[in-house]
Amino acid sequence: MKKLFKIVSLVMAFALVFALFGCNKPADDKTTTTTGAGTTVAATSAFDAVAKEDIKVGVLHITSIQETSGYTYAHHKGIQEMKESLGLTDAQIIEKDEVPDTETELVKTSLQELVDADCDIIFATSYNYMDSVEEFAAANPKVIFSHCSGSKSNNSNFNNYFGRIYEARYLSGIAAGLKAKEIGTPKIGFVAAMDVKNSEVTGGINAFALGVQSVYPECEVFVKVTGSWYDPVKEGQAAKALIDAGCVVLSQHCDSDTVQTTAQQNNVFGVGYNSDMTTAAPKAHLVAPIWNWGVYYTAAVQQVINGTWISKDYFEGYNVGLVGLSALNESIVAAGTAEKIAEAEAKIKSGELFVFTGPILDNTGKQIIGEGEKLSDGQIQTGINYYIKGVTLS
Amino acid sequence: MKEKIYAIELNNITKTFGEVVANKDVCLNVCHGEILAILGENGSGKTTLMNMLSGIYHPDSGEIQINGQPVTINAPKDAIDLKIGMIHQHFKLVDVLSAADNIIMGRHQKSKKTRKSKLPSELSALCESFGFDINLSKKIYEMSVSEKQTVEILKVLYQGADILILDEPTAVLTPQETKKLFAILKNMKQSGAAIVIITHKLGEVMEISDRVTVLRKGESIATVETAETTPKQLTELMVGRPVSLEIERPGVEQEKNMFEVHRLSVKNNDGVYALKDVSFSLNGGEILGVAGVAGSGQKELCETIAGLLPAEKGAVLYHEENILGKTPAEIINLGISMSFIPEDRLGMGLVSSMDITDNMLLKSYKNGKSPFVNHKPARELAQSLVEKLEIVTPSIKTPVRYLSGGNVQKVLLGREIESNPNLLITAYPVRGLDINSSYKIYDLLNEQKKKGVAILFIGEDLDVMLGLCDRVLVLCHGEITGIVDAKTTTKEEIGLLMTGETKTQQEEDAE
Amino acid sequence: MIANGTRTHEPLVRIAKRRERSRAELILLRAAAFLLAIVAGGAFIALLGHSPIEVYAEIFKGAFAGNKRDPLSAVKQTLVFFVPLIVTSLGLSLAFRMKFWNIGGEGQIIMGGIFATIFALYSTDNPGAIPSFILLPLMFVAGALGGGLMALLPAIFKIKFGTNETLFTLMLNYIALYFLKYLVSGPWQRTPGFASIGNFDKSARMWEIGGFHASLLVAAALVIFVHFYIKKSKQGYEISVVGESQPTARYAGMNVGKIILRTMFLSGAICGMVGMIKVSSTYTLTEGITGGVGFTGITVAWLSQFNALGMVLVSLLFAILQKGSSVMQTSLGLSADASNVLQGIILFSFLGTEFFTRYKFVFKKNNSKEKE
Repeated sequence: MKKLFKIVSLVMAFALVFALFGCNKPADDKTTTTTGAGTTVAATSAFDAVAKEDIKVGVLHITSIQETSGYTYAHHKGIQEMKESLGLTDAQIIEKDEVPDTETELVKTSLQELVDADCDIIFATSYNYMDSVEEFAAANPKVIFSHCSGSKSNNSNFNNYFGRIYEARYLSGIAAGLKAKEIGTPKIGFVAAMDVKNSEVTGGINAFALGVQSVYPECEVFVKVTGSWYDPVKEGQAAKALIDAGCVVLSQHCDSDTVQTTAQQNNVFGVGYNSDMTTAAPKAHLVAPIWNWGVYYTAAVQQVINGTWISKDYFEGYNVGLVGLSALNESIVAAGTAEKIAEAEAKIKSGELFVFTGPILDNTGKQIIGEGEKLSDGQIQTGINYYIKGVTLS
Repeated sequence: MKEKIYAIELNNITKTFGEVVANKDVCLNVCHGEILAILGENGSGKTTLMNMLSGIYHPDSGEIQINGQPVTINAPKDAIDLKIGMIHQHFKLVDVLSAADNIIMGRHQKSKKTRKSKLPSELSALCESFGFDINLSKKIYEMSVSEKQTVEILKVLYQGADILILDEPTAVLTPQETKKLFAILKNMKQSGAAIVIITHKLGEVMEISDRVTVLRKGESIATVETAETTPKQLTELMVGRPVSLEIERPGVEQEKNMFEVHRLSVKNNDGVYALKDVSFSLNGGEILGVAGVAGSGQKELCETIAGLLPAEKGAVLYHEENILGKTPAEIINLGISMSFIPEDRLGMGLVSSMDITDNMLLKSYKNGKSPFVNHKPARELAQSLVEKLEIVTPSIKTPVRYLSGGNVQKVLLGREIESNPNLLITAYPVRGLDINSSYKIYDLLNEQKKKGVAILFIGEDLDVMLGLCDRVLVLCHGEITGIVDAKTTTKEEIGLLMTGETKTQQEEDAE
Repeated sequence: MIANGTRTHEPLVRIAKRRERSRAELILLRAAAFLLAIVAGGAFIALLGHSPIEVYAEIFKGAFAGNKRDPLSAVKQTLVFFVPLIVTSLGLSLAFRMKFWNIGGEGQIIMGGIFATIFALYSTDNPGAIPSFILLPLMFVAGALGGGLMALLPAIFKIKFGTNETLFTLMLNYIALYFLKYLVSGPWQRTPGFASIGNFDKSARMWEIGGFHASLLVAAALVIFVHFYIKKSKQGYEISVVGESQPTARYAGMNVGKIILRTMFLSGAICGMVGMIKVSSTYTLTEGITGGVGFTGITVAWLSQFNALGMVLVSLLFAILQKGSSVMQTSLGLSADASNVLQGIILFSFLGTEFFTRYKFVFKKNNSKEKE
């Protein structure tokens, strides 16, 4: 018995070690992933029109809809806007909140409840709902599933939606760059939730840096990674470290407003994210890139009502107003900021300015995007895993 | 008799615990200047009654009068204020303090200064007047049991008690110490104290008390003048029917030195020697008594032989094979059937939450190859024991903790005897048992003795040991102070040995 | 605290220990507790401005009534909550019976999940891969081993050094959790920045029989196993004796250390099976794998007095409550917080009644003693 025990535990220990360091199974090698808006198939909707009075909309939120800022707040606000603009009643909207995407069982139960409540379309807002949503889409072909920020979809009832938040980040970079230039210190900090391998975060940093460089070319961006989407303590520590390294403006891609309050305490400036953080740090917060999810939710639900919904991935930006900036904190931004931003914004809207246009070098000097080339939407969503020139990980 | 003012008068006191009636309509009284003995078997409600007087319990109904006044006693402090002093079986003293500190502790004093300066003289006056012989500056942990008891008594006297209640005060004393205690009690009685002594030892009742109130099954059966009664009559009152007080000692052919303990030394958990150089032999067909003040090493002796406690050095020989250091299971595998009836029945010998059947299995559950326990023989055994030993239980499925002490003991002893041992170790087998049950146990032991079983009998009642055992081994502080022939020795001699006076060499040789 | 040394007043209410109640009384008492809990919860619902009857009907419907296409849909979901809970409490109850306070269910579930996932990750649906009928049992054994080894650690320390197993097992929960976090956001991570390892291939997914997870059968088998193991087996007998009194166990010739190790391994192994069941029925391993059953299981085990059949009932009650009240959010618009509070109230009332199994109130009697 004892011997057997020893052998088995040895085997298990070996297997464990091997699994930890040997496993490099490529992800998603078998799923049919169609990413980006590139494949526009002219198709007619497989779904019948639904009377406005009968439609039911389900939403799955990761945290509480009672929050007053942050990720879930932005989505909840968008749903409310959709409800009002379409004239739906409260009873037609079923929002399940506080469904952590790490509790797979709860996610599935919640999805099942939304299905059982006869929802016509279900929005799932968090990345890790993705695999569960995929299963449910296959099992419930009559229900539409729309998943935010993921990388999966099918050709019938499951799509993916996200947006060009990098456009707003580029514009916020202009505000940050002008402020640094006004101060005369070419150092800007960026508190990032995830490391360079995360395309969403890294693309945002690069876009921000491009915005900065468009007004203050010699300015450098220093990045600190917290490793968590929401961790006020680590965010504060990272912000302090960047300030100590001489940064005079801090930007962020993480969920709390600690970076902004830390900036205020240390008399530097900041660019927020997700919601207007001026209330939290009135003397530091310049502007924040924000989401207007209501744009997508209204459009999607209207399509379901009309019977025109087709499974197509949604990836829009300034052109439709899905992303934007919070109101400029006029009392502290550098002179001329509003004008510079308005100028760039008009160019983005018109298509004249595409943020990720070559030539772009990475921070080792290697050319990533050639002269005149543009990144595809697929590359933007999953392929940005390098910092551009002028961005340094510290 | 309403005109007479009693120190304590209890009228129709009833106390129940759930459905168990501990006291029912108990009436008794005691005057100042009198010693009242409360006599009753274990479980007859003596201790509950006294706990109500000292404020630990509260009666469900009935009236308590102290000095003619009806009172309600809610807490021990109330009792103290009513000048009632209670001496419990377990002392409540602080080990690291001196006797004097323990005595004055808890007494309300205005300032520390008066306490320090005034008290010793007050205390020594108290000692003198009652004849206490004690060093007041000695620390409690250095004291013998008898001295600790003296401190307890002084403590309540110092608190002003003139009503003294002693719960089984002689259980922990040698005969000599008992004599001293009784002398003190008599002095106190002379000075007008009312004294209640709770006991189940008839001899002491006859010796010390003026009147006796007999309790049986929670009720006060009778109150008699000690001078007008006999032990036999008291026993009958206590048991409810006539009983014989003779203990049989059958003569049996003995198998010499079946079992030997050779120079055994054992340390207890605190690293102190509990047994020092203990050597004796035990014959088959013999009951060897082990006498000694509680805590003299009896427990360690039993547990070491049973393989539960490691020994420092020495040997335990069974048919000249050393079994020391073997586990209980290994000892059984050697073909030695040893039964050990531990002192702590529910904490060691039995599983209190299990029923009789499951307890039968404790040492035999492993029998058979099947991974499952075979309950059938155990059930049969349990049923036969219940009938044979007259165990009072609702059924063999009742958890043993619901049984009374005597019945618990019968279950334990019954199981051990049924395993047909060659060696039987039994610690205080009749403690807490009623007289009838006790005699039943003696009979069972004698039955085993006749079968040639070697029996080690750890006892506390010297009268019983002298009647039942063939020889008596006396332990004092973990050492053997003598092994005497029970037929020829006296209680006094054993009492001396218990206090540490060793026998002379010749006497030992004479055995 | 008494007035002048002669007479005092009895307090109005005292708490007194009562004789242990009979089985029938206990069952009645629990039934009363259940009723009380329902009433207390109803009061809370009424306070929120809803009709208690409507809400309870909704909870019941939510737990049992499915949709048009699948009338068993809700029952299946309720069972999804039920299975991990019953299996965890079965596992914990083994240790508890021995009075070994295994608070480490969470960690053991996590380890079980991790060990099972090792095998799941190596399997693919490609030809030549391990077929499901071998892979799943393999994951099952791995899960049990993971949980068992995790539980063995505190047992070894308890025996060798006398460490407190409550603290030890509790702290191991965190170690296991952080190890899991490391894995899902490190070596096993699928997409950078997202703590997810992706879905298992089909061969590593729990079989479904008529739409029900096969884990239900595992749970049923374990209920029967634990019931007979405790009541009838020699090892079960040993557990009871060791739990009651170690001196008694030694007196009976039992090897107490060995029994503790064996029982803890088994306890942890059963919890580890929960980990396997969880990962194979959700097809993935995430930080939230336990869903807190390692702790809820403690409550369940205690409430049912470590009785296997009792645990079935209590787990079912918990599962119904959890599933049913989650539906209230969708159907009545009650917030998730409100349904949590409702669950809390019902549980508290239920647990509070446990007090009366051991104690009773004694009220002051207004008779006698005044005159005469």
